[in-house]
Amino acid sequence: MKKLIFILSLIVVVYSCGEKFDTIEDLSEEKYNLIDQNNASVNFPQIVRGKIAVVGYIFTNCPDICPLTTNNMRLIQERLKEEKVKDVEFVSISFDPLVDKPEVLRKFAEIRNLNLGNWTFLTGEKNVIDSLMKKAQIFAIPGDSTLFPNGEKIIYYIHTDRIQIMDVDGKIRKNYPGSTINVNEIVEDIKSLVD
Amino acid sequence: MKYKIFATATILLLVNLSSVYSQEKGQPKSKIQIHDPWIRPAAEGSNTALFFVVENKSDKPDTIYAAESTLSEVVEVHEMFKKGDMMGMHEVEFVAVPAHSKVEFKPRDIHVMLIKTKKDIKLGEEGEAVLLFKNAGAIKVKATVRDMPKMNGMKH
Repeated sequence: MKKLIFILSLIVVVYSCGEKFDTIEDLSEEKYNLIDQNNASVNFPQIVRGKIAVVGYIFTNCPDICPLTTNNMRLIQERLKEEKVKDVEFVSISFDPLVDKPEVLRKFAEIRNLNLGNWTFLTGEKNVIDSLMKKAQIFAIPGDSTLFPNGEKIIYYIHTDRIQIMDVDGKIRKNYPGSTINVNEIVEDIKSLVD
Repeated sequence: MKYKIFATATILLLVNLSSVYSQEKGQPKSKIQIHDPWIRPAAEGSNTALFFVVENKSDKPDTIYAAESTLSEVVEVHEMFKKGDMMGMHEVEFVAVPAHSKVEFKPRDIHVMLIKTKKDIKLGEEGEAVLLFKNAGAIKVKATVRDMPKMNGMKH
């Protein structure tokens, strides 16, 4: 009887862990050819394979939500460093690749004094980015815009407000609201996945 | 008698001039007070936002109907909105500031948007903008450049 209770308890525990970190989307077999902030060609998610990845989605013309998301990723990065949690990579991917060229992403990171030791900003061909966004369930729809006398137009996207964690195999395991994420929650989740 | 009328008129004129001056200068005589103004950092040619708390200490409501700044090519007042788990924003024509109240321009809410910055706006620097009120006139604000305060585990 005791043995049966123990086995049932074990099943419940294993099942609960699985529920907490169900696979939302499997990118393990995907290969997106992208460009980082230094203009180097990279393959996502291969560049983070073997590590937990904290992935945020941004466009640099965004004045509020994306800077909040980016700042929250910085806070997560600092907390993990304080707690000596290793093998975690950070990735910010632009869904506005026609504007967010590598140089633009590099300046976006530099002006915020971000630590790019384990943080990569990615952009790429629009069709590749669109394909990745669809797979990652990130939506960005053109909203209001500002038109300049020279014909230049800045588009402001209505977009998914999101940070995700991806496991060592390239599977998206949990979604968080990027601009209002609970830093304690994601840090504990990452530690669970690392363990 | 003529002297008294002249003196009274002079005093009234000086009071009126003083009022205009204080509106242009904004602080400290205005009953509109701007607290804790700050701007997010931004690389040249990009966009950023100005946040602050506006306090109306007068008996009359007021309205912010525009803003100006030499920091960017365009300045607009914007408001964020939420649709499910998506966020967007749009321009607003004005923001009402009721009598004896505070209105907060804050992240994920209303903000003054600085569009296409003319130079790098770096952390620790200061930037100026002018808020245009319907009644109080033009009020200058000097904002510090900073990211969001560190609020670990806190929803903002």
